[in-house]
Amino acid sequence: MSLVVVVVALVKIIIMVGFLLNMAAIATWADRRQGAMVQDRVGPNRAVVTLPSIVVQALFVLPPGIFATFAGFAAVKGVPAAGVAESTLLALQASVFVTWFSLMVLCFVVRRKGAANGLDELVASWTPRSILVTGLAFHVVAFVVVSGMPAAQMPMASRVANGLLALIFACVGIYSAAKVPEGKVGIRLAGTLHAIADTIKMIWKEDFVPPKGDKILHSLAPILSVFPVLVTCAVIPFGRTLCFRDLNNNGFDFADIGSVMPAMGSTFQCPKGTAVPLQIADLNVGILYIFAMAGTGVIGAAIAGWASDNKWSLLGGLRAASQMVSYEVAMGISLISLLLIYGSVRLGPMVEWQSTHTWGIFVQPGAFVLFLVALLAETKRVPFDQPEGESEIVAGYFVEYSGMKWGMFMTGEYVEVITSSILLVTLFFGGYALPFLDPDGIRVAFGDNVLFTYKMNHVAVVVISAIAFFTKVIVMAWAQVFIRWTLPRFRYDQLMKLGWTRLLPLALGNMLVTAIVVLAVNGHADIEGALALVADVTQALIALGMLAAVLAFFFGIVEPVKRQKVLLSTAQKFAAAAGGVRMAPRQA
Amino acid sequence: MEPLDEELEESALELPSEPMQLNMGPAHPAMHGTVRIVLELSGETITKADVQIGYLHRGFEKMCERGTWTQCFPYVDRLNYVSPMLNNVGFALAVEKMLGVTVPERCQYYRVALGELARICDHLVCNGAMAMELGAFTPFLYCARAREIIWDIFEEETGARVTHSFGRVGGMARPPTAMFKDMVRSGLPRLLFMVGETEKLLLKNRIFLDRLEGVGRVSKETAFALGWTGPTLRSTGAAYDVRRAHPYLVYDRMEFDVPVGSAGDNYDRFMCRQEEIRQSVRILEQVLDQMPDSGPVNIDDPRIVLPPKEEVYTTIEGTIQHFKIVMEGVKVPAGECYSYTEAGNGELGFYLVSDGSGTPYRVRIRPPCFAAVAGLQQLIEGAMIPDVIPTFGSMNMIGGECDH
Repeated sequence: MSLVVVVVALVKIIIMVGFLLNMAAIATWADRRQGAMVQDRVGPNRAVVTLPSIVVQALFVLPPGIFATFAGFAAVKGVPAAGVAESTLLALQASVFVTWFSLMVLCFVVRRKGAANGLDELVASWTPRSILVTGLAFHVVAFVVVSGMPAAQMPMASRVANGLLALIFACVGIYSAAKVPEGKVGIRLAGTLHAIADTIKMIWKEDFVPPKGDKILHSLAPILSVFPVLVTCAVIPFGRTLCFRDLNNNGFDFADIGSVMPAMGSTFQCPKGTAVPLQIADLNVGILYIFAMAGTGVIGAAIAGWASDNKWSLLGGLRAASQMVSYEVAMGISLISLLLIYGSVRLGPMVEWQSTHTWGIFVQPGAFVLFLVALLAETKRVPFDQPEGESEIVAGYFVEYSGMKWGMFMTGEYVEVITSSILLVTLFFGGYALPFLDPDGIRVAFGDNVLFTYKMNHVAVVVISAIAFFTKVIVMAWAQVFIRWTLPRFRYDQLMKLGWTRLLPLALGNMLVTAIVVLAVNGHADIEGALALVADVTQALIALGMLAAVLAFFFGIVEPVKRQKVLLSTAQKFAAAAGGVRMAPRQA
Repeated sequence: MEPLDEELEESALELPSEPMQLNMGPAHPAMHGTVRIVLELSGETITKADVQIGYLHRGFEKMCERGTWTQCFPYVDRLNYVSPMLNNVGFALAVEKMLGVTVPERCQYYRVALGELARICDHLVCNGAMAMELGAFTPFLYCARAREIIWDIFEEETGARVTHSFGRVGGMARPPTAMFKDMVRSGLPRLLFMVGETEKLLLKNRIFLDRLEGVGRVSKETAFALGWTGPTLRSTGAAYDVRRAHPYLVYDRMEFDVPVGSAGDNYDRFMCRQEEIRQSVRILEQVLDQMPDSGPVNIDDPRIVLPPKEEVYTTIEGTIQHFKIVMEGVKVPAGECYSYTEAGNGELGFYLVSDGSGTPYRVRIRPPCFAAVAGLQQLIEGAMIPDVIPTFGSMNMIGGECDH
């Protein structure tokens, strides 16, 4: 193994673990925020970092400055001929996006804090919705302009577009820095700093070990519960395979890292050079590794329950052990039907299959439901949180934990939310695949009728696929937070009954039916062709749904919130007349 | 060679085992810090339960013997901190029964209105907390928001959100505010909407139904034998409601149904409370229609009711009257009485003894949830640990009145 392979692997590990830990913190915050929002209060958002305004200004200038430098560099030096068309389009679209997005943010800020100059007043006179609509219109215009441009003018157009982008970035950076007030500025990042503050607090808290507990096992248990959920993600592909050219014909080395293939071959394989899968380890046991690792998660909970010398935690540990062992059976068997169709236990080919056919949820909706239920049970969250059900057995297996050991259990639980979302996305929601996005660009086709093709740069496709993967994971994690706040929890025996008498037979039946269908369809070209067409239709449905969701999201954000508050008591009326309830003075 | 265990008897080979003793509460999240249950477990099944109360004992009855009759009102507030207004009204009615006076009609309507609002509060808290303890957090927050509407009305009427101390012997502390009817009229539809939302989240949820149905079942006979009243009794099918069986105030003029259950399990208790919320809303609407907008609220008896403040400051009679009532208390004729009203949890009785002075000689409360908690043991024996939570929740045990 050469050094470059190790470095690339390390980079992938950092990306994945960084995503998991950050998302765990954000999920913790979202989980607590959700409850607060139902109650009409802001929730945990008090953590604040106070910085001198010069530092904040630097923070505002720095990211746009870096982007502006890149774009300016591209404008002055020119772009390699192979990617010039894409570069033009990208730069133009980015300019449009940065412009309307910044104007929208400015509009919100000015409307809240008041205008400082003529530009502010002008922006405040627009509505966020009109800015959004105009921006979308400009996106279309930019697309039409670039597609209609003759190839000869492309290099010049690329320089102009990149120059424009650099200019816009510079303007945005400087203008936003100029808006930073003088003196000390508190930064809250919408309350997400609260999770960090909580972590710092937990590290400094007393680490209590029960006097009669097992000291070694008591310390070991949190590690055992965090470790498996982190390593599960090693086999997950989080983006399309990257292809590097072999510049000096000596295999993959550091010199090759800068030169990614501009386009894929017609067979979607790396024609020559090195393929680097965006997957930490491409193990041939694939999903079996995930089951093996997820299975060890129960040990941490069981040991914690035993080592705490507390009857409640003993009950919790017992419940955790039996629950997770039972649901693992149903979970594994529900997936076999999927494996029959994908024809592989490796995650890479699974996602590849979904990318060329259709998402797993359309192929196996039954398996999806079964797997989702089993997965929720594995993550030990409501409605399956018997091991820690706080109103029944106080806190279950971690009742005797405090400080960062408790924090590790919590981290493990929230990382597990993200991990399970990753699994769901990889197995049922196409992983990094987007409908009609082939490795060499967009190709809208139903069966053999190609409606639309658009060639794209290899790097662009890889980046889009990675973004698609992480976005899907975030959406799934958000859905899980919703489930947690809505459902009551099962009773312990009902849970076991559900697992063994409902899920398991259903999973077995599903497996049987799938096997028969796969056998029947296999080899019949006409049926397979018809199924492929159906698959394309489902892809189209997904694409439309996603487009609608994105538009609804943006329009939902700009939609002015109508709040109808009925003030009954005199105290409330006084408070409203005085301009709302004052926040309590901040503690230093 | 002989096998090692040849001479051992069969029983000696088994591991010695003894049932697990588990101490649930008082510092347990579901026990509200006011009750302790010592469980004997076989696995998770409860073989023996010992319910122990007394963790919120404040000597309420003894405290009442030290002050005047009027000074008892803050104490009765704290008997049931979920629906204090019902206790206020109940105690005022008991003292008035001894005095042999009846408050003016407007006050009667006012008391019914405030009492029904408090009853809705009580049921919302009980059902919401029960859902929350089962893990469904959002319905609880909906209930809390619905309760907020009522608390806002109370805040405007009485100046306090929780413990109002608003009742007085012979009337109320203040007449209804000008906005009272409008506030209730505008609040009730929003309240019903949120109650509906809560039900939508819970009643179509299989998990929730599985947790409640058939759990904590009790028969009508057992319930009578235990002395249960209120929603816990009505859930078994017995339609006993003090408001209907022995009407007080103006309940005989109101049209309302007494919802009853059939199985007497947790689900029936939950549904009885939900339905009673709706019936209370019905009563409130009738009260708002019939309640006169003007007229006296307090009885016209200077020996019982404090004079208006201007008179206290300007006339010698007023000053003396004020002094006598505040320092010596309302002189209640010697004798004893038992007065009972329908509180949120059932029949709330006050047994009062007076020696003719301005201070109660004896105040004895008959708290509705004392009987309910007494029956908890038989309900949870044979069930599982998780069943304790909804069963105990549906008893709506309030430590303040239970520990007397």
